[in-house]
Amino acid sequence: MIEPALLANFFTIFFSSAMVILLGALYALLFAFSRIKGERRLMPLAYLSYAGLVVATLTLAQAANLLKQPFWFSIVLLMLLGYLLAPHGIWHLCVSTHADEAPRDSAIPNSKQDFIS
Amino acid sequence: MATTMGRLDSANLNGGQKLAVKYFLVAGILFGAQILFGLISGLQYLMPELLYGVLDFSVNRMVHINALVVWLLYGFLGSVYWMLEEESQHEVVGLKLGNLIFWVLTSAVTVVVLVYLLVQVGPGNQTSLWLINEGREYIEAPRWADIGIVVSVLVFFYNVATTFSKGRYTGIAGVLVLDLLALFGLYLAGMFYTPNISVDQYWWWWVIHLWVEATWEVMVACIMAYGLMKVLGVRRKIVETWLYIEVALMFGSGILGLGHHYFWIGTPEYWFTIGGLFSALEPVPLVAMVVHAVFDAGARHAKNSNHPTMAWLIAHAFGNFFGAGVWGFMHTLPQINLYTHGTQWSASHGHLAFFGAYATIIIAFFYLAAQRWRGGVWMSGELPGNGWKWKWALGLLNLGMIGMTVALLISGYEQSQIERAIEGSSWIGYFAAQAHPWFIQGMWWREAFGVMFALGFVLLVWDLLTIGKGETRAQQAIAAE
Amino acid sequence: MATSQWWSSESFWRKTAIWVTGGSMVILILLTMDTLPQISAGSKRVPAYSVINHRIEYQLDNTRHVQVPVIGKEEPLFGVKLTEEEAEALVSHGKMTVQAKNCMNCHTLLGNGAYYAPDLTKAWLDQYWGNSDIRETQMVEFIKDPSNKLHNSLNRRMPNLGVTDEEARAVVAFLKWMSAIDTNGFPYNFKSIEQEN
Repeated sequence: MIEPALLANFFTIFFSSAMVILLGALYALLFAFSRIKGERRLMPLAYLSYAGLVVATLTLAQAANLLKQPFWFSIVLLMLLGYLLAPHGIWHLCVSTHADEAPRDSAIPNSKQDFIS
Repeated sequence: MATTMGRLDSANLNGGQKLAVKYFLVAGILFGAQILFGLISGLQYLMPELLYGVLDFSVNRMVHINALVVWLLYGFLGSVYWMLEEESQHEVVGLKLGNLIFWVLTSAVTVVVLVYLLVQVGPGNQTSLWLINEGREYIEAPRWADIGIVVSVLVFFYNVATTFSKGRYTGIAGVLVLDLLALFGLYLAGMFYTPNISVDQYWWWWVIHLWVEATWEVMVACIMAYGLMKVLGVRRKIVETWLYIEVALMFGSGILGLGHHYFWIGTPEYWFTIGGLFSALEPVPLVAMVVHAVFDAGARHAKNSNHPTMAWLIAHAFGNFFGAGVWGFMHTLPQINLYTHGTQWSASHGHLAFFGAYATIIIAFFYLAAQRWRGGVWMSGELPGNGWKWKWALGLLNLGMIGMTVALLISGYEQSQIERAIEGSSWIGYFAAQAHPWFIQGMWWREAFGVMFALGFVLLVWDLLTIGKGETRAQQAIAAE
Repeated sequence: MATSQWWSSESFWRKTAIWVTGGSMVILILLTMDTLPQISAGSKRVPAYSVINHRIEYQLDNTRHVQVPVIGKEEPLFGVKLTEEEAEALVSHGKMTVQAKNCMNCHTLLGNGAYYAPDLTKAWLDQYWGNSDIRETQMVEFIKDPSNKLHNSLNRRMPNLGVTDEEARAVVAFLKWMSAIDTNGFPYNFKSIEQEN
């Protein structure tokens, strides 16, 4: 069911696992920055991070003996797709939840005054 | 409300907040105790004769982790009492009872710690488990104290739930009340004895994991939601929608993420699949936070009314991401966890995750409390001395923690290679790894960074007691609700 | 800019949060109902307490790629064969002693606990005890007063916790029973004590 990893792969697993999370976050971060700042140049970097994420994930899956089993292989693919689309989805959610936010250049204290006391 | 600007004056606080600062004070003392006993137990790795037979490692380590759990809980209780009246727009119902329970709980905690330190262990019978020590990591508190905790918590729940239902029942209130209910219900899962250690640890993880990786996370999300409205002036509708989104993502991944503790305790193999799968999902809420934080920061000019609080909220975001996300996922898949489980890897992850996800946000709240306690003073830029105390405290505490985490990781890495992979997890293998230079040096560095962390704590206390003293400017105005 | 959509509305996410939480809890409860019988004493993975009447071995299972405990021929602990009730009482006394003496804040059990002293999951099978003939006595003596026994080159020693003879024997029973739990190969690559006839 689960095959213990080879000792030789120990470093690979721990390092690629860390990279999966870091690159996943970097991708999300660059993606969001690019959108918010209107910096189109950042977008290729975001997708580069995603490409790194794909490499890290496949390395991890290989070292952890996941690719041999069809079930786990499909999970890996599903994860990759999920991490690709998640920042897009969350971005749409951000835009939509903030849609009716009023322009906020004037700092108007609210009527209850409870935060200045 | 009459304010006495620049002085610590309880007239600046509402009823719930007066109770909250009591909780915060005890939390601060316990935080100090946690650091002290951590330093002693860390030193015992290097000098095994230190306090041998007087205060053994087991005692110091127990006080270290129990102080952690209790100070964070005190921080949560304090934070909730702090926001309760503003959030519900109603006076705290049963505040007198709440005050009484504060003293009862604090006396109980004191007695428990004294018994830990003075009695330490008892004979192998039920009486010991009822009166001295239950001997189960994190929930060592003897059974009498468990019952006391449950009673205290019920009173707390009564305070919170009735205040909200008599006043304004907001979205934050709804999440908070249900979360508290779950938090307390789960504690009951740890209150029984069984000779079967697999069953014991099965339920023990319900308490530990479903607290730390589910209900505490949601508790923090509620506190964070309130904090964002206060400090950045984010509007309630947005904050609450995102609170629901985070709850869905956290509980959706965190509840079944429990599976990653069920790899090696005798439980069936299908937990490998569940644990591995949901562990891979656990970073999703963190990714969502990253995107949303960037969006939020871009949508408003990073103007805020409390710089130390804001800085600690940022430390929280990073600490949570690295401690829980990166450090957690790094050794969570069963293929690698077989080598790392029960080594200093867990200690490394535990240190960074508890600090990053929980300690940081409570410290952020301490600053919010200090600001109001001094009459809502200015805490944005241009503080006296350029705010060197809070900045140095922030730097020392965070660097100290990162240093400890990396040192423990190096020791743990060596341990998983020598002890587990090569020597085969036996007694000989264990000590071969403990005697290895990598391990010992890791322990020295951990201790050194621990001292740095302790210095940061001293500075933090000093700053919290003095920040805003004699300040005449009122806090920077921001929009809210 | 998009306007507010149903999928970004507060009420949609409130409902989602409730359903996701409820759903996860229901799944967890169903899994718990399936798991608990599989880890009750006397099941395939967690043996009955009377397993202490038998030899425990730890062998590689080639289909699972991990080591698993194998219950061998009759070999009663301290030479006395116990009934199921007697065995449970003894193991339970041992477990209670392990809790009352706070073992878990230095040792790990099933990998959980503190990291100041060796893991106890397979302590019964550890080569430290020499050979299987002297193991039981060695263990009892060690637990009663470890402070003057050989530990390691680090001078890190277990303190004398005032364990009585009766408690020490119960702890050994608990450790023997625990070593027979199928822990999916944890701790990895364990090298077991020689148990020749």
